[in-house]
Amino acid sequence: MYVSFTGSVGEMPYPIRVVTTGSAKPSEIESQVLVLFEQFHDPILRYTISFGISIQDAEEIAQEVFLALFRHLQAGKSQANLRGWIFRVAHNLALKQRISNHKLHTSLDQETITIDTYLDSSPDPEEQVFFAQRQNRLLAVVNALPETDQQCLRLRAEGLRYREIAAVLGISLGSVSISLTRSLARLNRAEGR
Amino acid sequence: MLDHHVHPTDEELLLAADGELSNHRARQLNRHLADCWECRARVTELEATIAGFMRAHRQTAKLQLPAITGSQALLAARLNELASSPPGNARSFVRWRASRLNISIAIGGVFCVAFTLIAALAIRSYRFTTHVASSTLVPYLEQGATPNPNLTPGATHTVSVNDVCSMEHEQVVGQVSLSLRQQVLKEYGITQAHPSEYEIDYLIAPGLGGTEDIHNLWPEPYTSPTWNAYAKDALEEHLHHLVCAGKLDITTAQRDIATDWIAAYKKYFHTENPLPARSPRPILHSTKYSS
Repeated sequence: MYVSFTGSVGEMPYPIRVVTTGSAKPSEIESQVLVLFEQFHDPILRYTISFGISIQDAEEIAQEVFLALFRHLQAGKSQANLRGWIFRVAHNLALKQRISNHKLHTSLDQETITIDTYLDSSPDPEEQVFFAQRQNRLLAVVNALPETDQQCLRLRAEGLRYREIAAVLGISLGSVSISLTRSLARLNRAEGR
Repeated sequence: MLDHHVHPTDEELLLAADGELSNHRARQLNRHLADCWECRARVTELEATIAGFMRAHRQTAKLQLPAITGSQALLAARLNELASSPPGNARSFVRWRASRLNISIAIGGVFCVAFTLIAALAIRSYRFTTHVASSTLVPYLEQGATPNPNLTPGATHTVSVNDVCSMEHEQVVGQVSLSLRQQVLKEYGITQAHPSEYEIDYLIAPGLGGTEDIHNLWPEPYTSPTWNAYAKDALEEHLHHLVCAGKLDITTAQRDIATDWIAAYKKYFHTENPLPARSPRPILHSTKYSS
């Protein structure tokens, strides 16, 4: 049996497009940055709002990230693992925004953002309720995890590999591994497994 | 020694999923899984848990996420502006916006942060003679995009050209404190600011030696149709570039932008109106005032 979790919800990890190297024209870099923006807009927003910042702040952070990416590429800097680079910059900006907002992480009140049953297209009402309840239970467990554990889990859910998560959060590969194992064990328990 | 008879830990299963195990151990693990129903069940459970979380994570966010169209158009406009900035400006380019500027980093390593009183006084007196002192706090939005010279004469600190030109954009991302932003709005008699109406902007940008001081900050309306924060940003960037290229004295740049930034725009861009690309800046939450 081949072990693979990456396609478990039908969404493959984000491919990193190859960006023209060397002396690419600004217009080429611009269009490539826009392609990457399209690719990472939702993941970056999902990740940064988990810091408890507003959606407007998250949007602005996404803008800053990709403007910085443009300068990064224009300056001919490293293009190795741009996905990790993008999330790392977003992570740092989100942290700063949160500090400046004088808000606590919990202020997002994710607990209040619940999955409503109408989101599910399943025709069976009972199934819908069960599905929503299960997801809300999972989110409640995640929101109660230590922040680093939450971030590891969210980055993993965005398709980042362990070494990318380690680079974004500035922790070791082993720490990422331990964190994810611990988090999944808690989620498993919440699922009654 | 681990072999394929040993039950893998959850951690190993997760590492395997990410391709982080050695090839040898990954082969052992897959052989083990082929033989061990119990471990296969664990993998299935882990998969289901991860899948459940991923769905919940995405669906929760889906409730809030706006469509990408607007923000992508905004980014395209900003990239276009950035790309059209003069060559060599990219590395030292600094997008100076008050709310995102961490002045402690911006001036980090720079000698003591004392105001150059002489420069400030000179700017102030110059402004006093060139402006009709209007201390009345008429509805600010109607006044357009220029600050009240009495309240915001501009403030600078001793800084060398090398200092301002060696600043990296990434190093200066920060924010003016909420209390200072509130003070600025209060000073201007704005008691009920809608978040979308103002940006608390520097009169003299830090990239030109300006400081995070109430005398150098003012509420700049987003809604000004022509001379808005977007045009001022472009001017700041242009002057910064000219200073760093050795084409403009920093003191002159400070004086011109503090005296009348619109006149400075016309002077340095050789135009009577903002350049075509300088459309009104969209509302950006990060630079707004929020009470």
